[in-house]
Amino acid sequence: MKKVTALLMSLAMVASLVACGSPAASTAPAAEAPAAEAPAADEAAPADEASAAEAASGEKTDITMWCIAVESDSNRHSYEESIKDFEAAHPEINFTWEAIQNQDYKTKIKAAMAANEMPDIFYTWGGGFLKEYVDAGRVYCLDEAFAEHADQLPENMLVNHKFDGKLYASPNTFNVVGMFTNMELLKEAGYDKVPATYDELIDCCDKLVAKGIIPFGCSGKETWCVTEYLESIVEKSVGAQQMKDMYNGKAAWNNEDFINAVGIFQEMIDKEYFDPEGIALSDNEIKENYKAGKYAFYINGTWNCSDFVNAGMGDIVQVAEFPVINADKSKLGELVGGPNDSLAVSASSPNAELAAKCAFELSQGICHYGYLDGNGLPAWTPDYDTSALNPLTLAVVDIVQNSNATVLFGDNFLNADNANIYLDYVSQIYASAIDGKTFADGLDADLKH
Amino acid sequence: MKTVKGKEALVYLLFGFWALINLFPVYWMFTFSLKSNEEIFGANVAGLPKEWLWSNYTEAMTTGNMGRYFLNSTIIAVITIIIVLLVSMMATFALTRFIWKGRKKMNSFFMLGLTIPIHAAIVPIYILISRLHWINTYQALIIPYAAFSLAMGILICTGFMTELPIDLDEAACIDGCGVWGIFFRIIVPLMKPAVAAISIYTFLQCWNELMFATIFISDGVHRTLPVGVQALAGQYMKRWGPIGAAMVMATFPMLLAYVFLSRKIQDSFIAGAVKG
Amino acid sequence: MTKLYSNKVNIMLFILPALFLFFLILVAPIFVSGYYSLFDWNGFGEKTFIGLENFRELFTSKSIGFKKALGNSLLLAFFSVFVQLPISLGFALLLGRGRKGERAFLSIYFAPVLISTVVIGQLWLKIYNPSYGILNVVLRAIGLDGWAKIWLGEVETALGAAFIPTLWQYVGYHMLLMYAAIKSVPTEYREAAMIDGANEGQVNRYIVIPYIKPILKVCTIFAVTGSLKSFDLIYVLTNGAPLHSTEVPSTLMISMLFLRNRYGMGSTIALLLIVLCFAFALIIEAIFRGKEDR
Repeated sequence: MKKVTALLMSLAMVASLVACGSPAASTAPAAEAPAAEAPAADEAAPADEASAAEAASGEKTDITMWCIAVESDSNRHSYEESIKDFEAAHPEINFTWEAIQNQDYKTKIKAAMAANEMPDIFYTWGGGFLKEYVDAGRVYCLDEAFAEHADQLPENMLVNHKFDGKLYASPNTFNVVGMFTNMELLKEAGYDKVPATYDELIDCCDKLVAKGIIPFGCSGKETWCVTEYLESIVEKSVGAQQMKDMYNGKAAWNNEDFINAVGIFQEMIDKEYFDPEGIALSDNEIKENYKAGKYAFYINGTWNCSDFVNAGMGDIVQVAEFPVINADKSKLGELVGGPNDSLAVSASSPNAELAAKCAFELSQGICHYGYLDGNGLPAWTPDYDTSALNPLTLAVVDIVQNSNATVLFGDNFLNADNANIYLDYVSQIYASAIDGKTFADGLDADLKH
Repeated sequence: MKTVKGKEALVYLLFGFWALINLFPVYWMFTFSLKSNEEIFGANVAGLPKEWLWSNYTEAMTTGNMGRYFLNSTIIAVITIIIVLLVSMMATFALTRFIWKGRKKMNSFFMLGLTIPIHAAIVPIYILISRLHWINTYQALIIPYAAFSLAMGILICTGFMTELPIDLDEAACIDGCGVWGIFFRIIVPLMKPAVAAISIYTFLQCWNELMFATIFISDGVHRTLPVGVQALAGQYMKRWGPIGAAMVMATFPMLLAYVFLSRKIQDSFIAGAVKG
Repeated sequence: MTKLYSNKVNIMLFILPALFLFFLILVAPIFVSGYYSLFDWNGFGEKTFIGLENFRELFTSKSIGFKKALGNSLLLAFFSVFVQLPISLGFALLLGRGRKGERAFLSIYFAPVLISTVVIGQLWLKIYNPSYGILNVVLRAIGLDGWAKIWLGEVETALGAAFIPTLWQYVGYHMLLMYAAIKSVPTEYREAAMIDGANEGQVNRYIVIPYIKPILKVCTIFAVTGSLKSFDLIYVLTNGAPLHSTEVPSTLMISMLFLRNRYGMGSTIALLLIVLCFAFALIIEAIFRGKEDR
């Protein structure tokens, strides 16, 4: 009883607190305000220009950036180099940056968005992740600043960062999913070339298994790694356009080709093509295993090229496109991936216009160094010597040049809520907890468009 | 007589077994913090390190920046403890000494704080903190930690303060002390056992907290130990040595203090539960 | 004196700092959460008022799996009360009899409480590591290869594997509280019972346990609300994986808030958690009171 009265009492007190307008209670509704202001961000530009000019004449202007290039990230070096160049070229800017680990970064961005405490420049993925913030008016439109770079940044690199015809982020690199193949292990199964057709791939895997070599390593702990495998199979079964339509809600997931594709993936799991321990390992651990020669294939983003070259595997590993499964629906050159990682500017930045210019410069630099490092293909047209590129990256260049369609990673294509529902189902598929039909029905029912 | 002895031996066997269960993981952590991967993953999994690899510790200090995080955690813990001590003693003084209607209810109201999960309030608090422009400052953590330790602070204080005879206050009053005089000159000096109890409880709360520390602090300068350990573990997936070293560094001061003060620390925890 | 102690201004001055902190950080956020739980809101865009729709979705949606998460935390609470507390009580009774070295053993048993949760989590991650973890290494060494498992990765074992460190860490905590209470049992009671011919078990059952009932109540409340609130260890060990088999309401709430951009839904879970903690505290209080009446 004592506690009940206490509870009632606290209710009464809060009622009075709200009436007085305590700081906490009044801040909460205020969180809506920025959303209302934001659509005006474009018009606000002239004012920003004034403030930037003012800053240039006297004090240094502060520009802050958040990204995910932590020390262990393969992009770390390209960020550091690009920022070094940038700082040298802009003594009038006081530039500070912060790298946060991928998963924590998503949390932090969300919290910062909610509180309207964003840095001037922030790293973002293309597609649904960015779109949600654009829709809420939190992202500064880059069209004006882009005009200066239009000749260096081709239009087809902007597809995942443009919404309603307006550009909201500057892409750094371009990555697709590649099938990294350990040729030494393949030799043991009697293959001296990467299997070019689906039948060959299956035959190769069977032979590997017979030899006691695990064909694939895939982290189950990080579900996005599973999607690299699953989406490759799905795309080569249903075709790129159909896949986009399914993500967009224009086509149903419940169709024969898709269910078959999921079936193929699950059959591979059943046939023990995948390391059963993978389900509890992180991607880093899987990659270490791959480098140690535990798996024949590793299907993942082409940003891994540099990693494998640096690990001294440049001669052993080859990268190729996943083979076509259903030739009626799909063909070679349909890839998973696209321009994705990018830099955006917050609408709330006091120096948004200046930050926009900075974002493009930084992004171009990151692209430049990242490409030379082998972290992926450039979104920006290279105007520098690329003759020293590593063989793996060159192979990726080849693959991409022959590409005719790319579909962004599903968890980037979809918005945050849908992406997590999707990932949930994918992890159930990987654990063989559900079948393709349940997967398709579930996605049709649960994804909100 | 023989059976009694046998029974006693059995009891001690049980004690020993349970002690092993409690100590072994900690022992294992200490040993692998000094080993290379070859030893950890290879032949010498559970033994003492063959080669004592102190470089793991240097690495945790330099790359992992554990020294800085250690300092941050200490600063935050100390200031939080001071705030909790002062505020909870003042509140308890008002709740136990002053005569006013509703003080009982007010007391049980504060006790509700014991059951509120700290994470449930994270986003409203985040919005508040950022409105105050406190993101990436020590106070961003100090204030919430203090608030969440307050309930326990008041609970413990109440137990000790009600035991102090009211005659003390009256004597001081006759000597001409005001309320503040009574509080600071008479009451506070007599609250030493409560101070120890509250300090230790609050210290553990701040020292261990992960979620607020991850979200409210984004720069390396103000990062706390748990976040640092977590980040290092993410970075050194496959090299257990430096992770182990960082974990030992986060644990060692606490355990060292415990070896010398175990009685006191235990009494503090008992105070937390029994005095209320 | 009385005048001094009934001065309204003084009372306010002393209680205000605590009250202010309490409202700002604990009470106000609860009501803010309550308010947001009525909206479909991603945390930064436009809010849509949807009444109790979040609550309905939470309990009906399969893809959220709240019932499963709640079930898990109740299961943890169950293990806490019926496994952890009995172990604590058993040891506390054995130690409390006045054996040589009891204090030393108690100190060892209590030590894990002092280790940071993140460290405990990371440590157990290493213990459970499928390839190099001490658990599987030992199992393989004694020839039980078949028993070696991917402890945190398999749906069948993950929940148990995630619970064990939680239970392990706090056995000593409850033990200490119970031990202290047992030590405060007046020796005359014990001696009187012994003279009447009671053995150790009977003394414990009829003298000690009834005497320490208040502390048993406190322990039960801590164990249950602690289980409902459990977050840090699960977050470090599995964060709900695999397939939500180790999801608890707190981890679900964090993923709603920060990963799925469903701030309204996250607030709904936050609110429910608080209500549940209160409710269980009241229920336990009532159960112990009911027993006293009998």
